[in-house]
Amino acid sequence: MESTKRPNYLLIFIILAAFTLIETLVSYVDQATIRLPTLVILAGVKALLVLLYFMHLKFDSKLFTYLFIPGCIVVIPLILIITIVMPLID
Amino acid sequence: MSDTQASSPAPIAQHDNTKMGMWLFLGGEVVFFVSLILLIIFYRLTNSAYEAQFRSHLSIPIIAINTFVLVTSSFFVVRALEAISFKGDQKGLRNNLLVVIVLGLIFLGGQAFEWSTLFSEGVDYASTYGTPFFTVTGIHGTHVFVGIVWAIYLLVGHRRRPMTQDNHLAMENFGLYWHFVDIVWIVLFTVIYLV
Repeated sequence: MESTKRPNYLLIFIILAAFTLIETLVSYVDQATIRLPTLVILAGVKALLVLLYFMHLKFDSKLFTYLFIPGCIVVIPLILIITIVMPLID
Repeated sequence: MSDTQASSPAPIAQHDNTKMGMWLFLGGEVVFFVSLILLIIFYRLTNSAYEAQFRSHLSIPIIAINTFVLVTSSFFVVRALEAISFKGDQKGLRNNLLVVIVLGLIFLGGQAFEWSTLFSEGVDYASTYGTPFFTVTGIHGTHVFVGIVWAIYLLVGHRRRPMTQDNHLAMENFGLYWHFVDIVWIVLFTVIYLV
């Protein structure tokens, strides 16, 4: 670790646990217009919290970010093809 | 070596090479897991009737508990790293790693219970939605298993050659791997069970 900054890991854990509970409850909501975006946002925030704080990406050398990001960029066309283009073909 | 070369700081410490390798590996894992997750999404989009039938077999409360177990294990990985990197606390490292191993085993136990329940309810591995489901969750479970073996290796290795406050890169790399596996499950939990 290159920085001595220490986030409040307990607080992050509590947020992650609370979000997991909220997600589970939201999954029982019938209205897809509320359920879908809420679940996607909650999962995205949880993943970001783990990535930035538990994996120290926010505090470590930017080089690690540059090594990790290309993998995330490569999958964007895949996501677009599967979620938008493929259902249209049918 | 010239004075300029000697005084210019390296972009990253040499001992962090393995950590660079780990981040590069995780970048590759993103492509691997996103491809698998897209497989699930594709099957869901194109087989909605069968998908609804399959989802009626899934037990969200049990998997929610399993998700909580994995998130908790990530917290204990952070505690283990904190113990050794900031305090040089050998016992703290050991105890927190032990908790991580136990939580990892509980997660795998939960997954085994889920699978056995699905099989007993007649869900076939070689079915339209069974194949991607068991493939994706199985590969993730294998990653958790590898993480548990890695944690045990760290514990055993730590007894022979203890990590110190200045030399704990092995623990950092393990932490990166475990947290990544946690992130993958956060996404899988949403895509497979909740949405």
